[in-house]
Parts: sequence; structure tokens; C-alpha cells
Amino acid sequence: MIGEIRKKRLIEAMVDAGLDGLVLYGNAWQNDYLRYAADFGILEGEGLAVVTRDGDVTLYLDDELEGERASLECPEVKTVVARDLIGTVSGVIGRLGNSRIAAGPKRHLPYGIAARRGDLRFEDATALIDRLLMVKTADELAAIRGAARLADEGYAVFRNAAAVGKKDYELIAEIESFFRNEGVDDNFMIIGVGGPEVRGMAPPLGKVLKPGDLVTTELTPCVNGYYVQICRTLVVGEPNEAQRKVFGIYNDALEAGLAVVRPGVTAADIARAENDIFRAHGLGDYVTSEYTRVRGHGLGLFPDTKPHILEDVNTVIEEGMSLIVHPNTYNPEIGYFVHGDSLIVRTDGPEILTKTPRRLFSVDAKRAAA
Amino acid sequence: MRHGLILWREDELSTADVKARQARLQQAIAAAGLDGLLIYTNHVRSAGVTWVSGFTPYWSDGLVLVLREGAPIFLTALSKRVGEWVKSVAPTFEVAYSPFPGKLAGERLAMVGAKRLGVVELDRMPGGVVDEILSVLPVELSDATDLFAKVRGQADHAELKLVRHTDDLAREAFKAGDVKSRYAGDFTGPVERAVRLAGAEECYVAVAPDLAKDRRFIRTGKAELGRIFAVRLSVAYNGVWVRRIETFSSVSEIAGRLASVSAELDRVAPTLPADGSISAFYLPEGAGLVDWHLEAPFGTRPLKVVADAETSLGAPVPYGILTTAFSLDGEIIIASRPVGLGDNVLREAAE
Repeated sequence: MIGEIRKKRLIEAMVDAGLDGLVLYGNAWQNDYLRYAADFGILEGEGLAVVTRDGDVTLYLDDELEGERASLECPEVKTVVARDLIGTVSGVIGRLGNSRIAAGPKRHLPYGIAARRGDLRFEDATALIDRLLMVKTADELAAIRGAARLADEGYAVFRNAAAVGKKDYELIAEIESFFRNEGVDDNFMIIGVGGPEVRGMAPPLGKVLKPGDLVTTELTPCVNGYYVQICRTLVVGEPNEAQRKVFGIYNDALEAGLAVVRPGVTAADIARAENDIFRAHGLGDYVTSEYTRVRGHGLGLFPDTKPHILEDVNTVIEEGMSLIVHPNTYNPEIGYFVHGDSLIVRTDGPEILTKTPRRLFSVDAKRAAA
Repeated sequence: MRHGLILWREDELSTADVKARQARLQQAIAAAGLDGLLIYTNHVRSAGVTWVSGFTPYWSDGLVLVLREGAPIFLTALSKRVGEWVKSVAPTFEVAYSPFPGKLAGERLAMVGAKRLGVVELDRMPGGVVDEILSVLPVELSDATDLFAKVRGQADHAELKLVRHTDDLAREAFKAGDVKSRYAGDFTGPVERAVRLAGAEECYVAVAPDLAKDRRFIRTGKAELGRIFAVRLSVAYNGVWVRRIETFSSVSEIAGRLASVSAELDRVAPTLPADGSISAFYLPEGAGLVDWHLEAPFGTRPLKVVADAETSLGAPVPYGILTTAFSLDGEIIIASRPVGLGDNVLREAAE
């Protein structure tokens, strides 16, 4: 159903733009463009969707196992398994002749397809698709609300699993197992464990939780293709004075960012509201790219979609966007700290999706790993 | 993205192991008259870069440029902070950052006066990256997939040991599943947890919930399990991928037979050749072959179907994963096991 709604929107956008065809690339990391047209959560190998303005969508996959899965998980999508993906799709495009065909994301269009088309160049469909990805339909927003519940439940599992002596990847094992049982397709997740020496989150490195550690995480479950994120920090043992003080700053920054969100403001306005709190505390250096990447971002069929919430991004925020606001950055006293909530932009402001309390969580330092 | 442990483990894959691979590749680059070789990586096409560096990207993408001399260069659009993490888990290459890694590759090639660049799977390279390279240096690009396949196809002692370890890990993890589970997720959840607790880098689980009805695999926890079902575990550990399929039954008599077939396959499979030939098959007595395919690391793909009933193996592979479906006593059984790990292969690889 949701796939049909997206397809209809996509065809309308193509017709408005005067395009005859679209070629959309996807893999398990960058799957949003592909999934928008052909509702399949690709896992291994790569895929290309060819869309024509008369509404025909064909999904080309280069992996036999994935083709088999697609035939069961999305039987309504016309799927072709092609070991020679480039040759097969080039042949299809060649038969479209001298028509207007665009690719998205343009950067990822395989070189062989572009080269075989020769002088008949592909137009860039990136902006057209990005707009569809950013401003969502009511059905897409309903799917996002469903994913938010699992973000909260996932964080509760994470909190309950944290214990002295546990390794970071063991914590992630608990989350992933929980998510798979709940039908979560994927989860973007990074983690940080330690103190002031921790400058960011990363994949698990085998670090062992010990009393006094900050444990930071971004959890981003994906349900039916849609990602929702939650960022929280917990302390192993009772938080100290510095940790409590810093939490207050990040919480103020998060609330300041959320307070600005409404249709008509820009991404820069939200970032500025967050960063002003840090600057007021003499922490302005720590909102630069040296210490942090973004102050939030879009969410949807990709865990880190546009708009990026940064002071130099002037994308206008619109009703129907879904975002996370997260003033995550390094703090010189206590280390990297994260705090963020996902939301949907509504006419009257943000609808906050994640319900986990905005607290500096702590786990009993006497709680030991089993 | 990857979800599990990523760590440099010198005792499992040493710097010397990786340097030896790099040296072999550099010899082949020079012999082909190329000035360098470019390998693209994202997390589904990670195998080429993982083999040449020991690094697997967790997300995003990047390039590794191997010149005739010196350490390879990992070119990435990731931030400097993430780059520090990359260095900490892969001390075998230089890490360079740019929002336009292709441009950076072009600049590095210009520095050595390169004229001819080989690209593994040139046709599959993101067009934007190629444009970036050519905007800096009008270098002649050629497809180096075959060159890379020849070097990569040689068995490597460290890699084969990791394959055995990963397969052991998968075999042990299956013990966490309860064959009397009603739903697929009840069986697979504990299995996936066990794989990850053992330090796997990644784990994908798929199920054929009722083999009497359908042999296809899906990723759902909600399907009700039939009398006989199969579970496919795809496990990555320290850059090596293994697939293992086991067939189970909640009926104790059938379960006993399946367990003995599984044990027999475990005994025989490692010594089978990874060449997709008829001699590569072992079937229990009385079994009839229904279908088969051989997967192997190839190019940038961690595992790819390289041979089946219609297609013979085109190039040597370092090891294989042989999947067979066969009928036995009226039941369909599906099994996957690593092949090409026999003592003779290990000895040759060590030499």
C-alpha cells in the first residue's frame, strides 16, 4: 500500500519534470532512492530500479539470494535477477532511445551504464527524489510513528542490558536480537564507552563497561523501511557533578532546538538555537566540525537523510518532514555526549516521537554482567 | 551497516599477512604495466578492500588506491574523527579524507605521474567517483577485475583459518535455537544473539519456514515453522564471510536423521574442492541432488554465486560455500558448508 502511494507520487513528479525514465541505485546502506520506487529492503549486492513515466517499475538485482527473497517479500514488484547487472540495465535503457532519463543518486549511477549511453547523458534526479524523501505522506508518517515505539523499547533494552564488565558488542547483541524478534529490518547504531578520552561514537571496539563510564548511543531502528532515531547517554554508577552539569547544557540545547521547529524556519535556525546554548556556556568551539558532524538530520528511508541541521544549511523546514534534533558533541570535561529526539514537523510545531524521558540515565555500578 | 565488533586482531590476521597480499598485488600491477589499481568499497562491496587491508567499512563508502610501491591509501569522505577510528582498526594503509575521494585519488595519481590505472569492476564504479578522478587527471582507465581475481583467488592461510573459525562460530550458534519454536523469530533470535556475543562483525538470518511447501528463504520472524524448516546464517567475522544452512525438524525421529546428516557434512565438506566440479559433491547415501550453487569471495563481493548447474567456475576462488538441496527419505534437505579448506589447501596456502 505504502509502496503504491510512493510510486504514484514518484510518477507525478517525473511527469511534472518532463522525464521519461528514471534509474535509481540502491544498496543496503544507501537504499532510500531504490526503495522509494521498488519497495524492497535490499541486504546483499546492489540493485537498480528502472521507472518509466507510464508507471512501470522493474527492480534489477545482482544477487540470486536477494532475488529469491524479493519474490517472497514483495511479490507485487517486478524483479529481475541479472548477474550482468550493468549490461542488462543498459540494454533496457537503450531501448528507451533518445528520451529524457534521469538518475539518482546521480553520483552512484554505475560508470558502465553512463558510459554505454555515450552522448545521451543522464539528467540528475537527486534533487527531485530528495524532495520526495524529505516531505512525507500521511502513510509514511504513520510508519515512522510505528518505528518510534521500537526506538524507545530498544533503548529500554539497551539500558537494562548495560552492566559492569559487559563488552560494548555484547550490549549491541542484545539490541539486535530484540529488534530482529520485533521485525526490525535494520538498525543504525554506534556507541561510545569511557570518559574524556572518548571523542565520538564508533562501531563497537570490545570496550568493557566500568564504573564511571559514560555510555553513549544512537539507536535507529528501521521498520518497513523507515528509520527513527533516539540518542541518550547513561552513566555506569551515580553521575558525578560534572556529568550532571553537562547533561543540563545538552538538555537545554535539545529543548532550544525543538522549540524552534515549525514550518518556515530553516535548518540553520534550529542548529543556531542549539549552538547558542553551548556558546553561552563558553563551549562554542565544540559545535564546530572539529568535534561534531551535524546538530540533527532528516529521517525516513535513510537514517541520515536531508536536511542536515547545520548553521550553513538553509533548507526550509516543511510540514510532513521527520527529523532528529541532537546537539551531540564532545565535552572537554566528561567526553562525548549525546542527547536527541525524533519528531514530525506539524503546522503548530514538532510532534515529538520518542517518549523515553530526557534524563541522564544511570545503571547501578554493582550491576555486573552475567 | 555493520552492527558487530570491528577490531584489529594481530593474532588472527597479522600485519605481515596483509602486507604479503599487498606485495602480491603490487607485483601483478607492475607486471600488467599499470601505475596503480583502484578498489571501491561500500559495506556490501567490501571484500576487495577488506582483503587488501583488513578493513571493512561500517557504513558509507571509500576507495583504496594501490600504487606500484608503498602502502595503499584509503580515500574516504568520512570525517577526520571517524578516520581516527579507521586507523585504529586497520594499521595497514594510509587514510586520507576529502568530501571528494575521487579527486583525491586523481591528485595522488598525478603525484606519481600515473598514466594507466586499473579499476576493479570498472563498470560498477560510481560514475561520480570516475568523474572526480578524470577531472584532476586524464588517466587511462582499464578494467582490472581479472587481474585482481587471479591474485585474490590464491588461498591464504590466515583467511582459511578465519573461515574455519567463523564456520565453527555459526555451528555453535545454531545450538541456541529451539527446534520446537512455533515462530521463526523464536528460533532465530537466540541464534543471532549467540553469533553476535561470539564477536561476529555481522550476522544475517533467513528462514525457509516450511520446506514441504517452499524452499525459498525470507527474513521474517513472524512466519510459523513447519515440520521441517531450514535456517540460513550468513556470518562475518574479522572480514571473512561464511554461510551455513541447517535443516531442522521438531519431529524427533526426523531431527535425529538430520543431525547425523549435518555431522557427516561437517566431516566431509572442508576437504571438498572449491571448484564447482562434480567431485565437489558429497551427498549422504540414498540422497538425490535437487539443486546446488557455489558461492565465493569475488571482486568486491564478500560472497557471490560463482558456479551452479548452468554456469561453471570462471576463475579460481580462495574458498567456497557449497549449497546443496537434496531429497532423502522423502524429505527435502538444504545444507551450506564452506569447502576448499582441506589440509592440502592449508599446507599450500601456508607455503
